[in-house]
Amino acid sequence: MDSLQLGSYTFSSRLILGTGKFSNATVMLEAVRASGAQLVTIALRRFNREQAEDDLFGPLSAIEGITLMPNTSGASTAAEAVRAAHIARELSGSPFIKVEIHPNPQHLMPDPIETFEAARILAKEGFLVMPYITADPVLAKRLEEVGCASVMPLGSAIGSGQGVATAAMIEIIIRESGIPVIVDAGLRSPSEAAHAMEMGCGAVLVNSAVAVAGNPPEMAEAFAEAVSAGRKAFRAGLMQKSGSAIATSPLTTFLGTY
Amino acid sequence: MITIELNGQQQPLPEGSAVSDLLATIGCDGKSVAVVVNEQIIRPDNRSAHLLHEGDKVELLIFAGGG
Repeated sequence: MDSLQLGSYTFSSRLILGTGKFSNATVMLEAVRASGAQLVTIALRRFNREQAEDDLFGPLSAIEGITLMPNTSGASTAAEAVRAAHIARELSGSPFIKVEIHPNPQHLMPDPIETFEAARILAKEGFLVMPYITADPVLAKRLEEVGCASVMPLGSAIGSGQGVATAAMIEIIIRESGIPVIVDAGLRSPSEAAHAMEMGCGAVLVNSAVAVAGNPPEMAEAFAEAVSAGRKAFRAGLMQKSGSAIATSPLTTFLGTY
Repeated sequence: MITIELNGQQQPLPEGSAVSDLLATIGCDGKSVAVVVNEQIIRPDNRSAHLLHEGDKVELLIFAGGG
């Protein structure tokens, strides 16, 4: 069985789905079901008494086989992220935490120093830490060394739909890594997810591409198929690239010889 | 009366109010809500015993969609 191992957790799906930006909770839940995702991200925010909110936690937890991965979005320092992680664990009961620390809303690039510090503390406390990082092989290795369950380098900026712009760096991270490498952020199309999986990623995390699609559940299913195909291709072993043509048929010129 | 800070806003409460009283006052059933008082998480089984004091900073947090 080809499964994704994160800490002591085993997942058969290699598509992780984000739950932000959907037009409403019903569509989001349909997309989660259609995606077959077993790990789903969720965010913390303040309770607003004027604005009755759909309770996402209840219906999401009710989907069979779903594990929640709260994120620390909104934190701009390691201390804030650690605090958010404690609160999220209290609410969800899940050991997973996506450490996401982006101090600048203009580009949402993760702060490597604060992320490393938060990851180090939370891994020590027993969390399954999934840090969202820039595609930096040195940082990725350092995060593995402090006990993270995976590293999640960005393909491109959050919500940008620019695809795996960091492919060359992600390839180095995968080559060096002893933990799953998960491309998080920037994916726009299922073919990009397939590409990431063909490179040897352990999983991909997709949110915007599904949430803002014309038909989110259908797009979720398309991503699931692409992730599956990409993984299968990686396991099957891709052919080597060649600078020149290599014939697939015999080149004997028998047709002109009689 | 005392005044606490609830999610960054002033909230008057009768003296001797517990966390559970605050939740009832604002119409929050307390399910799927994390309560943090002065950076300390107050677990559900402790909410009726934990009394609030003048100037306490209370955060109520829930899960929302996010990537």
